[in-house]
Amino acid sequence: MDHNPILVIGGGPAGLEAARGAAELGYKTLLVEKAGVLGGTPIQADYAALTPDMENTEVAMKRMTDAVEDDPLVDIRMETVVTGASGEVPDLTVTLNGPSGEEQVQVGSVIVATGFQHFDPGRETQMYGYYEYDDVITLVDTERMLKAGNFVRPSTGETPKRVCFIQCVGSRDRQIGNQWCSKVCCGIACKEAIEIRHMVPDCQVFVFYIDMRMYGFWEDEIYWKAQEESKVSFIRGIVTEITKRGDTVVVKGEDTTKGRPEEVAMDVVILSVGKEPSAGTVQMAEIFGLPLESHGFIETTGGALNTVATSVPGVFAVGASVGPADLEDSVSSAGAAAMKAAGFLRKHALANA
Amino acid sequence: MDAIYADAKYQEVPREEKQRLFDEVKADMRWNETLYGCYECGICVAACPSARFYDFSPRVFAQVMAREDVDSFYELLNDSVWDCSQCFSCTRCPRQNNPGGIITIMREVAVNNGLTSAKDALQAYSRIIYKVMSTGTQVAPDMLQPDFFPDWGPDVVAVADNLDVWRRMVPPETLHTTELAWDVSEKTRLELYMIWKLTGNLEMIEQIDEGIFMILEEVMEELLEENGYDIDDFESVID
Repeated sequence: MDHNPILVIGGGPAGLEAARGAAELGYKTLLVEKAGVLGGTPIQADYAALTPDMENTEVAMKRMTDAVEDDPLVDIRMETVVTGASGEVPDLTVTLNGPSGEEQVQVGSVIVATGFQHFDPGRETQMYGYYEYDDVITLVDTERMLKAGNFVRPSTGETPKRVCFIQCVGSRDRQIGNQWCSKVCCGIACKEAIEIRHMVPDCQVFVFYIDMRMYGFWEDEIYWKAQEESKVSFIRGIVTEITKRGDTVVVKGEDTTKGRPEEVAMDVVILSVGKEPSAGTVQMAEIFGLPLESHGFIETTGGALNTVATSVPGVFAVGASVGPADLEDSVSSAGAAAMKAAGFLRKHALANA
Repeated sequence: MDAIYADAKYQEVPREEKQRLFDEVKADMRWNETLYGCYECGICVAACPSARFYDFSPRVFAQVMAREDVDSFYELLNDSVWDCSQCFSCTRCPRQNNPGGIITIMREVAVNNGLTSAKDALQAYSRIIYKVMSTGTQVAPDMLQPDFFPDWGPDVVAVADNLDVWRRMVPPETLHTTELAWDVSEKTRLELYMIWKLTGNLEMIEQIDEGIFMILEEVMEELLEENGYDIDDFESVID
C-alpha cells in the first residue's frame, strides 16, 4: 500500500513505542526528535531506574531505541523540530528544521508525543528556597545523584543523615494554577526513598504527603515496600516553608495525624515536582490546530474510551502531551495511537482504491 | 521524629533510656508480626471501645512505632498504654497490623522495667494478683457483697446471707465454695506457683508490687516446704 509516512513527534517512551508499533504494522514512519539522543526525558534527565519496576533506565530505553533504529520502516530525524504544517492528512505538508536546514515532507497521519516538563519549583513562589539553598533539590536532581551512585548533601558533599521528600510540589495547587495530580510523583518518591535507604543505610528518610496516590500494584510493590522493608517514614502533612538554621535546612509542617506543628532539621530536602505540558507540546498544539484542554495539555476528544483522538481526524496525541502520565499510560496510549493511525491510512487507501 | 521543639513531657528522661526501652519492645519475638506499616486510615480507632471513652488511639501506637518516634513512644509507654482494654478489635487493620499486640509488648516492657506508670496502673489489682497467683481463681462468691452491688436489688441480700447453702445447690462438688470460685487442690496451687516462678512472672510482680510479692512468696514457699517440694529441683530442670 502506498502511503505518506506516519509522523511521530518526540523520541521519548511514547514516541518510540508509537513508531515501533506503526512500523511493525507495516507502515512507513517518520520519527522526529528535537534532541541529539533518543529516549526522551528518562534519558535526558538521567533517570537512574524506572518506576515502578526499578529497571535500569539505560537498559530499558535501549531496548526501545534499538527497536526503532533496527526497523528499516522508521526514518529517524535527530536534532529536528516541526516548524509548520499546511493542508490536511493524509496529504499534510509538514516543515521540518534539522541539521541540514529546512525541509518539507508529506505525511499521512500525525502522532504527537512531545510529553511534559518538570515543574520548576521556583516558578511561582520561593517558599521552598530551591534556588536559595543547595540542599533543597528535586526528584530530578536526586535521579542524577542516584544514577551516579553517590547520594550526598550538595552543600558539603557529605553523606546525609536525614532526608525528606515533600510531595505535590507544583501539583494540586490552585495558587500555582496546576490543579491536577501529576500521577507519578508519589511512586517516584517511594522508589527514590528505597534507593536512598539502600545506598545510605544510616540515613533516615521521611515523606511529607497529602495522600499517597499509589494505585494498582504500585501500592504494595513500592509504597508498602518503602514503608515495611526500607523503613521510610510517611508523615501526612505538607511543609509550609523551608528555612536555614546553622548548616541544616529546617522544614516546618504539621503532622496532621498527630495534630501538631513541627519544625524538623534535614540534611537534604527533595521536592517532588509535578508535570506540566512541555514547550514542545504547546508548540505542536498550535502548529496542528489542536485545542488545549483546561489544564493546558492537548485536548483529546474521545472521552474515556478513546484516549488518543484529537479534534483533528488523523492527528493523535499520546503520553504526557495529553496530561500527566506514567510510563505504562504513555506506552499504552502510544500503541493505541499507532493502531489508529494505521487504521486511518488504511481506510483512506481503501476508499481511494 | 527528632523535632527541634520536643514535647515538654518527659524531657528530663535521657534519650538513651527511651531508646533502650524502645529497642526492648522491638526485640520482642512477636514484634515482626505485630506491625507492618500504617496508612493512618483510622479503622482501628473506629473499632476501638477504649477510644470512645478515653483520649486513646491505637492508630497513634502503630504510627509512632512505625516512625520510630522515640520521644512519643516514651509518652505512650507512660500513659495511654494503660487505656487499652486488650480486646483486639483493632486487628481488623487492612495492613494486618496489631496495635493491641504492640500494647501487649509495651506493657510487658513497662512492667519488667518497673516503670511508675505500671505500678500505678496495676495498684488496684494487687488483691486479684495475689488471689490468682496463689489459687488460680479470681472472683470468689464472697466478694459479691450486697453493699458493693446495690443495683442487684434485695435478692442479693438473701443470697449473701446464705451463700454457703446456695453454693451447695450448684451440682458440681468443686463449686461448693465461698472463698474461692471453685475448689483448688493444693497440688494445683503449688504447680501453678511454680509455673509463675519459673516463667519469670514472679519477677514481674516484684518489680511493680514488692509487698504482694513478699506475701505471696512467703505463703507459697511455706506450702511448698510442707508438701516436701524443693523449688531448686525444678529450677535445675529448666536450666
